[in-house]
Amino acid sequence: MKKILVVIAIAGMAAVSAGRAQTVMATLKTPTGERPIRVVEQSGNLYLPAEEATAALGGSLTGSRQGYRIDLAGRTAGFTADSRFGAAGDELIEMPSPPIFIEASPYVPWQFFRDLLRTTSDLDLTWEPGARVFEVRRFRLDSVEAQISVVNIEGMTKIVVQFPRKVEYSVRREENAYVIEIPNPIRTRAADQTFTSPLLDRVLVRENQIVVNLASRDIAGDAYAIESPFRIVLDLQRGASPVPDAQPSLPGSVRRPAHPPGVRTIVLDPGHGGKEVGAIGPNGLVEKETTLAICRRLQSMLASELGVRVILTRDSDELVPHDQRTATANQFRADLFLSIHLNASHSPAARGAETYFLSLEASDELARAAAERENAVIGGASAPGVSSDLNLILWDLAHQEYLRESSRFANLIQSEMNVTSGVENRGVKQAPFRVLIGATMPSALVEVGFISNPQEEARLGSAEHQNEIAQAIVRAVRRYKEDYEARLGGPAQDPARVGSAPSTAAPAPAPADRSGR
Amino acid sequence: MRTLFVLALAGALFTTACTRRQQTEAPSAAMAAAEAANKVAPRPVVLYFGGPSGLLVPESRTLPLPESNAAAAGLIAAAVIEGSANSAIPRLFPPDATVRAAWLLPEGTAVVDLGGETLESGWNTGSALEMNAAYSLVQSLAANLPEVKRVRILIGGEQAATLGGHLDLGRSLAPRSSMVEGIGGNGAPGSAPAPSGTE
Repeated sequence: MKKILVVIAIAGMAAVSAGRAQTVMATLKTPTGERPIRVVEQSGNLYLPAEEATAALGGSLTGSRQGYRIDLAGRTAGFTADSRFGAAGDELIEMPSPPIFIEASPYVPWQFFRDLLRTTSDLDLTWEPGARVFEVRRFRLDSVEAQISVVNIEGMTKIVVQFPRKVEYSVRREENAYVIEIPNPIRTRAADQTFTSPLLDRVLVRENQIVVNLASRDIAGDAYAIESPFRIVLDLQRGASPVPDAQPSLPGSVRRPAHPPGVRTIVLDPGHGGKEVGAIGPNGLVEKETTLAICRRLQSMLASELGVRVILTRDSDELVPHDQRTATANQFRADLFLSIHLNASHSPAARGAETYFLSLEASDELARAAAERENAVIGGASAPGVSSDLNLILWDLAHQEYLRESSRFANLIQSEMNVTSGVENRGVKQAPFRVLIGATMPSALVEVGFISNPQEEARLGSAEHQNEIAQAIVRAVRRYKEDYEARLGGPAQDPARVGSAPSTAAPAPAPADRSGR
Repeated sequence: MRTLFVLALAGALFTTACTRRQQTEAPSAAMAAAEAANKVAPRPVVLYFGGPSGLLVPESRTLPLPESNAAAAGLIAAAVIEGSANSAIPRLFPPDATVRAAWLLPEGTAVVDLGGETLESGWNTGSALEMNAAYSLVQSLAANLPEVKRVRILIGGEQAATLGGHLDLGRSLAPRSSMVEGIGGNGAPGSAPAPSGTE
């Protein structure tokens, strides 16, 4: 008993100690000199004194715990006492923890100043823990920003490195790592990134290299590039035949999939799943179960009637992240992506189908900003000032060809669904739906009916109506497939993709009941 | 000229719907000046709620609001969340939804941090209701605060993937006239143009 109490006491002391602030001295180097600076370590985070750090950077700090303002090099930024989110201009800056206060003075996680500099200037802030040195230095003008993300799909891990422009690159295998190398220095949010993946240890950024450390030696990879925006993709699989050592890909080459033109592969996405149940009808019909039932029927019909390969993003009651759903479609190089949902409205009388395709809805103001800054972004020199909104606009512009095809596809689905539902045309719409972002093929989301309407709920739960819905979508896919493949025969078509959508387009077939609203 | 930067959490603006801890220190001179500028007075506003057609409809109200628009943003958002004064008009947001904080960024983005168990644990709803809820906030803030060009929604103080399973919250939402009855809406929220011909 005594031993147990001692263990509990030690554990308690350790817990208290882990959360206690500890003040240590470090050095802050700036382009104008260096100075000692008192920093605070607490719960694994490192905090800089906000006022002192701001002054060292040539700025000023004003405000109180309700809101601090930083004026630095003509830009404004700020943070508050209780929030992990600060701001620089209109960009949110996410911090690992909220600021802390020591003797009424604010200390912010050092990453706030790093991201503040990256967002508002051509400066960067680094931390060398061994030497206890913070260093402010200029980005090299020829450096390139890279965004690294990781997706796990069906036992495969995809590492995606996105650049603001096309870059020359090579990929080589080392004993327990892949090294992606480009000619220019690489800027990233963090030089050492850890991702959740059974195949991956960590990703390190070293000057002009991205080092992908593998979890074990039996993991092999396949690297290729895709465009709009330019990304280098490294697919990792366990037990696959190892890629020959030091086998570089062709520098700067973009691997185009050997993929015959036409609609051959369709990815169906049953909306929601797992703990994300979706909408629930007044009599208990559950959206996630109904969308899966419809997709299973549709999968069978599409395969048998159109002879296409059909893949479901989920075939059981599981939670699949939004990004992974389109990643699956990209992975299988699908020609169409269709997400199926049931709708719900504040109005219980709402009924009928609605079909959406992606809109990133840039406002006029943002579009102007994009036009003004596009050259700088594409040149890569001003990437630190690029907002996420702007990135999305550029993505939007780059994907206009997919949007045109998505519009055709959505109109055909809506047309056929109107016939099936026998109600007024609720129309084809555009919305920034998460599940459609990232698809590199024509894509749409169809709300096949209103689960919030008791009459529609009853129909949606019946096998007969689910078959009618599936048949309507098969008719729409058939019309799209025939129209698209007929257009591929034209002289101006470029079926190669990244994306199979043609760069020119003939008028789409008008929905049968466009005027029947 | 750059708009004056104001970073004001709703805790400083309204006291009931907020989870911020009590402030114990004396306000600074700057804060005292800000509070003096934030004199509350009745102000006519237009708020947007769900109409019978499925689109948003405007509702004129008079709310006691601070003179500072930065301070008023949280109160306007809270009024939208609470729903129409007409009890016959259904509420768009879940009943337990709250506004944890709201602030304005200098280049036209209003950040609204929503809370409540339903939103924070994952709101299960349809896209029509979700779109109407989100854009009721966007339209209302943009209609009453000239500096608001777009709205960024956080959930529980964090960046969330979606509001209710569909709408991407990883970016700011700009006002959409197609969501509003009689302005751009034609009975089909977010209506898209028909596919164009040859580009």
